[in-house]
Amino acid sequence: MRKLSEHAAQHRRGYFTGVIAVTLGLMLLAAAGTIFPGAPLLQPLTIDTDPENMLSEDAPVRVDHDRLKKVFGLDEYVVVGVVNDSHEEGVFNPQDLANIHQLTEAAKGLKFTITVDGEKRQARVVSEDIIAPGEVDNIETSGVGAVDFSYLMPSVPETQDGAIQVRERAQSIPMYQGTLVSGDGKALALYFPITHKKISHAVEQELRQEIAQFEDTGADYHITGLPVAEDRFGAEMFFQMGVSAPLAMLCVFLLLLYFFRNVKLILFSIAAAMIAVVFTMSLLVVSGFTVHIMSSMIPIFIIPIAILDDIHILSDFHDRYTPDRPRLEIIREVMGELWRPMLFTSLTTTAGFASLMLTPNPPVQVFGAFVAIGVLAAWFVTVTLRPAYLMIVSEETLAKFGAARKSKGDGADRPHGALAGGLRAMGGFAGQHGKLVLAGSAVVLALSVWGITKIEVNDNPIRWFESSHEIRVADRVINDHFAGSYMAYLQLQPKDGADAPDQPFKQPEMLRWIAGLQRHLEQNVPQVGKASALPDIIKTVHRELLGSADAFRIPDSPQAVAQTILTYENSHDPDNVWNFTTTDYDQANLWLQLNSGDNKDMESVVQAVDAYMADNPPPMAMQKTWFGLTYINLIWQEKMVNGMAQALLGSFAVVLVLVTVLFRSPSWGLLAMVPLTVTVVTIYGIVGWVGKDYDMPTAVLSSLSLGLAVDYAIHFLARSRQIFARTQSWAKTLPEIYEEPARAITRNIIVLGVGFLPLLASSLVPYQTVGTLISAILVLAGLATLLILPALVGQFPNHLFKKETLNESRTQAPAGGAAAGAGRRR
Amino acid sequence: MRAVPKLLLAALLLAPAGAANAQPSAAPSAQEIAERSEQAAYYQAQDGRARVQMEIVDSQGRTRERTMTILRHDMMAGDEQTGHQRFYVYFHEPSDIRDTVFMVHKHPQANDDRWLYLPALDLVRRIAAEDERSSFVGSDYFYEDVSGRSAKEDTHTLKETTDTYYVLRSEPKQPGLVEFDHYVSYIHKQTFIPVQVEYYKADGTKYRQYTVNKVETIEGHPTVVKSTMKDLQGGGHSTLTYTQVDYDVGLTPDVFTERYLRNPPRGQLTQAE
Repeated sequence: MRKLSEHAAQHRRGYFTGVIAVTLGLMLLAAAGTIFPGAPLLQPLTIDTDPENMLSEDAPVRVDHDRLKKVFGLDEYVVVGVVNDSHEEGVFNPQDLANIHQLTEAAKGLKFTITVDGEKRQARVVSEDIIAPGEVDNIETSGVGAVDFSYLMPSVPETQDGAIQVRERAQSIPMYQGTLVSGDGKALALYFPITHKKISHAVEQELRQEIAQFEDTGADYHITGLPVAEDRFGAEMFFQMGVSAPLAMLCVFLLLLYFFRNVKLILFSIAAAMIAVVFTMSLLVVSGFTVHIMSSMIPIFIIPIAILDDIHILSDFHDRYTPDRPRLEIIREVMGELWRPMLFTSLTTTAGFASLMLTPNPPVQVFGAFVAIGVLAAWFVTVTLRPAYLMIVSEETLAKFGAARKSKGDGADRPHGALAGGLRAMGGFAGQHGKLVLAGSAVVLALSVWGITKIEVNDNPIRWFESSHEIRVADRVINDHFAGSYMAYLQLQPKDGADAPDQPFKQPEMLRWIAGLQRHLEQNVPQVGKASALPDIIKTVHRELLGSADAFRIPDSPQAVAQTILTYENSHDPDNVWNFTTTDYDQANLWLQLNSGDNKDMESVVQAVDAYMADNPPPMAMQKTWFGLTYINLIWQEKMVNGMAQALLGSFAVVLVLVTVLFRSPSWGLLAMVPLTVTVVTIYGIVGWVGKDYDMPTAVLSSLSLGLAVDYAIHFLARSRQIFARTQSWAKTLPEIYEEPARAITRNIIVLGVGFLPLLASSLVPYQTVGTLISAILVLAGLATLLILPALVGQFPNHLFKKETLNESRTQAPAGGAAAGAGRRR
Repeated sequence: MRAVPKLLLAALLLAPAGAANAQPSAAPSAQEIAERSEQAAYYQAQDGRARVQMEIVDSQGRTRERTMTILRHDMMAGDEQTGHQRFYVYFHEPSDIRDTVFMVHKHPQANDDRWLYLPALDLVRRIAAEDERSSFVGSDYFYEDVSGRSAKEDTHTLKETTDTYYVLRSEPKQPGLVEFDHYVSYIHKQTFIPVQVEYYKADGTKYRQYTVNKVETIEGHPTVVKSTMKDLQGGGHSTLTYTQVDYDVGLTPDVFTERYLRNPPRGQLTQAE
């Protein structure tokens, strides 16, 4: 099969045209589909930034979420918090209230056309359900025996006293406490429901424009809410992709230039990676998959892997090239040595990513599948076009390259440079102090396993933004002042077959039980800022009907409950009732405002409810269903963590089989698994120790560690066997590995490790995480390979090199893995 | 205007000329049309009674029903309408609000007085509100749609006169008290019954629509016996169906006092059908 490279080297034109034609063709198809949406057979580029899509559309939690949102007439909210620290009454002054009124009026008319499932649709701010001082009813006893349903702020107050009155009214309604008006009574939060969360970023922008026109009163407007964060993330993601990926490319390019000092040869590395990326992404679009947060990272994963392969060839060629030898012969030698390890590293990397298809999260599956495709594409381009290119490159270009320059001995990685020296020292150390290295590794492993037990599984889309990002700032301010901007809902209904009366949620004992649950959650569960439910409306109206504070309770008969609700139905917002129960009162809904969107916090709320229900059984057997975006995030994460664990085990097994086949030896196979095991365990050990949450990017990177670490190990071991077959001695083999093979690995680590550091400049945390972890993985995998492998091999050289050892009975070298290097031996 | 069913047109055309006996020879002004329309919709005869079936349908098609008797009495000064009216709304169904009463003393120039009697709590409470555009017992109708909005509260302009309708555009004199920017009513030329009223926001969005579905001439009075209020944004609608309509039943003003809230005038209520 190595003939492929030779064939490509000899039939250059055909390969170049073929590869470029296919890539450009796919790109044009993708572009055409995007520019002419609706064209037959073509698919447009569809961007999907919705974390909900981490679960497939028919996932039970999503089906429940959509169904129950409809049942209770709920929408996602854009939350605006208004805080004024420079005024002693906060925002309760005529000017700020006038601005808030103006903002509310502006929001009412917002509507946008969006495309959902290929259909154009109108989406709008649900003006009739806005929660704002001018939009909600004050319920109070006015005069003798009267209940007043007037807007909390019927018109903008003209005096400071009037402004204070607005606050006092808001504070007297328990439903608005902490929701509309802050606990300290100085800030206001406005809730703008939207019919589709796709417009949240657009709504946010319109609101910001309106706010920008306000005269400065010292008030700060903070906009947040999960839909805003998620939509905003999508918008910024593409900007980041446009900046980070090219920046990473540039960085890689500069480093390659430093090592190889040859612009043309290196540009080809970049071009090869680009071809693989363009091919893969175009294929993704053409086959109709959406570009999700996950798939947007595909280029970032393909680039290092593509360049990695190419560096091996370039490195080897670099070390062998002299102008006085026929080029085809050098290429034959290089590919003879590298063909097998490169094919297998590509296959193992492919297996690592393909295993992600075992996860239950469609975007992760797509991501895994297409990175796998990209890796194979990169491999093909590298093993065909690279040799082909090396054939046509001019003598002048190569004149300053490789062995031709060796004599000058400049550059840190030349055989006489610092890098080379360092590596030799390292090889010597690993060889002589094998036991020490192994003991050290064991300690590191043990510490890492301990660290892994400390790992906290957690994610929160708001934390995908940097701490200083306005979304994060808004999130902090709003969740400090108010009950919470993270919505979760709990639906209750009598269990099938339970002995439930007609209209169970009109029964006083049932309502009291719900009120008890609300109280418990608000008082004893720190993550719950507020729990709102039907009892709040009933108790408030009942209090005002009876005109005394101690009437703030559920009345004693279902009739009294019904009539209290009927009274409320004469207000401006009678439909509020149906956010909390159904029209036949057979289901109830609790609206929980959480002050944190961390999945672990959502989880503890779920546990708190379970515990409460076990300790305080409801009057009739109840079944419950959680919904809301905060809860959906928890579910997809749970699924992903489990899925990732499975995927990791699955790919571990596949990779083990592959390397065993490659080396035709279980011992060598196991040996090749050592660096990746150490890398994965150590990486997650560190994650555990530093307290970084195990979130989406962290989870996905396990497959990258696997792919990269095994890559180094395969190259290292395959080359060791080739060298041993020639030298017939481990002692002589070891120093040789620490020449060109070790340098190739190290160049790889440096180029890619440093090359991905630009991701740290991203304002989006998942990109920072990926950048940091890729670099850490590379360094660890390299160290594990260069230190642990020689130490291990040094313990049992006779056993391991049985096949390579020439003796009387085995004069013929067997067709083992090292046979690939036979061409060179002869 | 396609929205008005043919059948309804026929009913309107069959309405006796008597109902429109004051038809002026010259074209009436917009204000005149509005006032006569108000008269036709809310001030037929001196009193009236009907059994009203209210159906509230939400955007998901879930239905709630309420059955009530509405009694109306107009305050007269001699033979002249003073504009003051009294309403007594007694709830028959659903059973858990049976005996609940909603009573109104309507004052054309001032805020109406509204009372609610809740039998389960044995409470009479006045319902106060700065505006009259809050929901009427949870339906898509506002309180004001049931009690009547005075023609004096808006500025009317005649937009169009078709063969059948006067089309009025009305803008509130006090925009702060209403949620609409303006509304457009289609007023039947002979009977002056507003058969369709469309409510608009400032940006021109039509968000609410009242439609008369059926008119019958009862005791010589063209009477709306079925109407629908649609919430075009939320997607729900409410229908009012009037049966057992009777005019000039001889209701006395004392029925409309607090005393009768606790003890409904059984003899005056409509019977289950």
